[in-house]
Amino acid sequence: MAILSEFAANHGITYPLLSDEGSQVMRALGLINARVQEDHAAYGIAPNPRHVGLPYPGVFVLDRDGVVTEKRFHESYRERDTGAGLIAQALAVVTPPGTVAQADGMAVSARAWLDSPTYAFFQRVTLTIELSIAAGHYVYGDQREEGRPVSIEIDPIAGVEVGPTRWSKPRGASGTDGPPWAHDGIVRATVPLTFAAAPGGGDHVLGVTVRYQAGDDGPRLGPGSIRLAVPIKEAPLVGRSLPTATATG
Amino acid sequence: MPLPPRDFATIGPRQGQRFPDVRLPDQTGRLVDLHAHRAGLPALVVFYRSAEW
Repeated sequence: MAILSEFAANHGITYPLLSDEGSQVMRALGLINARVQEDHAAYGIAPNPRHVGLPYPGVFVLDRDGVVTEKRFHESYRERDTGAGLIAQALAVVTPPGTVAQADGMAVSARAWLDSPTYAFFQRVTLTIELSIAAGHYVYGDQREEGRPVSIEIDPIAGVEVGPTRWSKPRGASGTDGPPWAHDGIVRATVPLTFAAAPGGGDHVLGVTVRYQAGDDGPRLGPGSIRLAVPIKEAPLVGRSLPTATATG
Repeated sequence: MPLPPRDFATIGPRQGQRFPDVRLPDQTGRLVDLHAHRAGLPALVVFYRSAEW
C-alpha cells in the first residue's frame, strides 16, 4: 500500500489503485500468468524471485451494468494505450485535444491531434485526423475507378511504428444513387503510433499527409493533399528506471 | 524463443459477463467495492504488472 501511495503521488493519480497483496483476487479471476518466467526469458528479462503472481496486463471495459463489453490485452507486456486514448476509445469520451494542427485543402479542412502530448517508451499514442468536407462535397473513402481514395501517410521516424488507419464509418455506403464509398460531412481517422525506440529519442514533429480527391455534383475536382505537423515530446521517466536487459528476439 | 500465442478471450472474466465483485484496499487504505464505486457508471478495470518496478 505504501508502494501504491508513493506511485499515486508521483504520477498525480486520484482514481483508486487497488492493492491485491498476495494476488488472491487476480488468481480467483484467472488472470495470473503462470508462465511469466518463460515469458520473461523470451523478452530477455533475468529471472527474479519477486516476479510471481503477476497478472496478464490488460484492461476490462465495463458498461453501466458492470458487464464486460471489451477486453484489451496486448501480446507484448510493453505495449499499452495512453490513458486518454483508452478513455476515448473504450468509453467513447473524446478528450478535448491539447495542441491541434490545422490546415485547409480543396473542399476539405483537416485537423489532427494526439491523445497525449508526450510519449514514453513503448507507449501507444493515437493520432486522430478529422476532415471537414465542404457542404455538397464528398471524398472517396475506398478505392474506386473514378477517384483516389482518401489516405493518411505519416513521414517515417526511426523507432516509431505506424499501425493501420481506421476510418469512421463511411456514409452513403448502402446508397444506390450517390457514390457508394464516399465520405461527407465530418469524418475521422485514427492511426496508432507505437514509440518503440530506446529512451532518449527526444521530441518529434509528426509530418502527416492527407491525400484525397473531392467531388460534388458537378465535375470532379483534381486530387488534393493536405500537410499537417503534429508535435510530441518525450516524457521524462518518473520515479523509476528501465530494466537494463533488452529483448533479443 | 517465440512466445506461444494466447487466447485472451478465455483469460479472466469473459466478454458479456458481469465483472465479478471485487473489494480491495486502495492506495489510502480505504476498502473499495468496485461496483459500488462505479455508482452505475461505465468503468475501466486495469490490471498492470507492478507499481514498484
